[in-house]
Amino acid sequence: MKLFATAARRRRGVLALGLAAGLVAVASGCSNSAAVSDKTSGVTINVVESAEAPPKAMLDQFTKQTGITVKWTNVDWDSLQTKITAAATAKTYFADVTDVDWSRVGQFAKLGWFYDMSDYVDVDKLKADLPQLNSFTADGKVVGLPGDAMFMVTTVNTKMFAEAGITKMPTTIDEYTQDLKTVKAKGVVQYPLNIPFAAAEGLSTYWYETTGAFGGSVLTDKDEPAFTSPDSAGYKAAEWMIQAVKDGLVSPGEINTTDSQGQQNLMATGKVASTFSDYAGNVGTLYNVKDTSTVTGQVKYIPTPTSGGEPKNLDNPDGMGIPVTAKYPKAAAKFIEWYTSAAVQEKFAGLGSADQLYSTFSLPAHLTAVEALANGDKLDQGATLKQMFQNSTAPIFPGGAPTWYSSLSKAVYTNLHAAAAGSETADQAIKKIASTAKQLASGS
Amino acid sequence: MALSIPPTPLRGRRARPGVVRSVGVVLLLVWTLLPVLWALDLSLQTGAQAASKPAHYLPPTPQLANYARLLFGDGDIAESVRQSSVNIVIECVAATVVTVVLATLAAYAFARMTFRGRNALFYLALATMAFPAYTTLIPLYRIMTGLGLVNTYTGIVLVYVSGFLPLATWILHSYLSSLPISLEEAGTMDGANRMQVLWHVVLPLALPGVVSTALITFLSAWGQFLFPLVLSTDMSTEPLTVMISSLLGRHTVPVNLLSAAGMLAIAVPAVLALFLNRYIVNGLLAGSVK
Repeated sequence: MKLFATAARRRRGVLALGLAAGLVAVASGCSNSAAVSDKTSGVTINVVESAEAPPKAMLDQFTKQTGITVKWTNVDWDSLQTKITAAATAKTYFADVTDVDWSRVGQFAKLGWFYDMSDYVDVDKLKADLPQLNSFTADGKVVGLPGDAMFMVTTVNTKMFAEAGITKMPTTIDEYTQDLKTVKAKGVVQYPLNIPFAAAEGLSTYWYETTGAFGGSVLTDKDEPAFTSPDSAGYKAAEWMIQAVKDGLVSPGEINTTDSQGQQNLMATGKVASTFSDYAGNVGTLYNVKDTSTVTGQVKYIPTPTSGGEPKNLDNPDGMGIPVTAKYPKAAAKFIEWYTSAAVQEKFAGLGSADQLYSTFSLPAHLTAVEALANGDKLDQGATLKQMFQNSTAPIFPGGAPTWYSSLSKAVYTNLHAAAAGSETADQAIKKIASTAKQLASGS
Repeated sequence: MALSIPPTPLRGRRARPGVVRSVGVVLLLVWTLLPVLWALDLSLQTGAQAASKPAHYLPPTPQLANYARLLFGDGDIAESVRQSSVNIVIECVAATVVTVVLATLAAYAFARMTFRGRNALFYLALATMAFPAYTTLIPLYRIMTGLGLVNTYTGIVLVYVSGFLPLATWILHSYLSSLPISLEEAGTMDGANRMQVLWHVVLPLALPGVVSTALITFLSAWGQFLFPLVLSTDMSTEPLTVMISSLLGRHTVPVNLLSAAGMLAIAVPAVLALFLNRYIVNGLLAGSVK
């Protein structure tokens, strides 16, 4: 009897050991299990983006041309960043093509999470027509191609300015500030300026754009803070933004307003007269759309007012790249090349037939495509946008976003938010941001 | 003759806790219900009304267009809502059933059987509840990839089960431990084996505990976001909670549509919590009084 019990116990022991060994084998053998294929025809690629799928007619056209079927999945931007990080960390396939935001370029290049697009596409040939390609280049790698031409611009409600007696648009920061004070003093609107002071990424980008307008940039070429001196552009930009709250140019309620909320709920409804750092394309996709706006035909882009130098519009684009865990990198590259081509983007933006129109598409990444749209009268204030795009856009960080960008951004928006809320001064906010930036740059 | 009793200092002192309690309850209700009511208010407004300032505390012209668009519209959104609703029900029900079955067996073993390392194993299982989700996300993702279970109902359900099993086991262990052992001994005396005792004697008595555990597991599974976000790669397995976030545009936030989707997502747990809350409370208090 005891013999049987011992044998049964042994069997259980062996079973448990076998189970444990199996689990260990599964866990240890779970490196990227997706087999990489060079196939460029007869395959289905997964495209995971934070945007609605392009028109079916266009995707069908691509499939007909190449034999590659596209399965498009829309995930919101923040969640998509989590998915990218999780998949890359776990070395696991989740998409053949996905989003490459400008702010993560440094990180992606350094960690080797994306293929170098220059291995698949002749990027040198594209450079002249794709001004924002620099924003996707870091450590000598091109981790994505720009999928649109998002850049920051200044928008003004010209009707409100006219009601205050202003017909000549400001070209300097001083003129701009004075005009906003006039709009307020004349009672046209109580709070004329939109600055999204919620502690979120939009506040950081607003500060970068304002810093550019004051004639500088946030980081030096060596990624060190360039905003610590009171004479620096970054310092002056922060002071100007906080002073605007103190002067009553910005509503105190904006400490809880994000960039998109400010554009949708304030600018598009005529609650403010201007957004200093707005998104290119918003006039056509938001302010002139009757369903979303009460100010149709009133909002114009103006060359960004500066402290004296040339107007500067900083890039803020999203791109498309190929994760190194992709199953079909070559097929993915073919899709990216197609999607980001001038011919396709012109159709997305309205130069094709109705079934080729991509209603949520903002602005083509190619200069020639923007020019074609402007010439074809398919782009609100196309000539102005084209001129800005061609002459004044620049990357936020000339050397590419640093790998520690997200920590820097967090320090920027939490401290500027606190300064706007009155819990610290602009000087204190700048010192805290600088301290974080120095620490990050030193790698400690 | 009516007696009039003058207020005494004692009565005054007794009245105060009642007032404090009432104020506390009101504050708690406002704190918890206001966001839900706010979302309901926004869900019944048009985009322009939802964006207006000052905000409308009541919908000026209540309309169900947002719900209609989500549920019955022709576009991708309605299709996604319908598919993700089916997904969330399948995933939560399956996770609940598997968790309750396994937890019942485990809890019974820990409560009634004697074996070496019983307490150590039990507390080890409980200790896993202290792990933040992020610490297990990547290993689980790799394991699921290795098993080919990413973007499958099985994969998501298995991850839910692994996450909720310790809590379910703990609740049922507390419940089973509180039952008189004499009934099980009587069953054994009558010739029943362990499984028969569990099935015919213990489970009928433990049914309220099992229902509590099932409810708590189901509600926990319903509220999941991070794991299904990573483990689902398309609409075939994506639950409603994850799908809702894709309504956010890159540069636009349709608050009225998001609020309506949020209201749809909380409808099932709200109904369960409303009608079966005594089971939830019982489950959470199981074993606290012996």
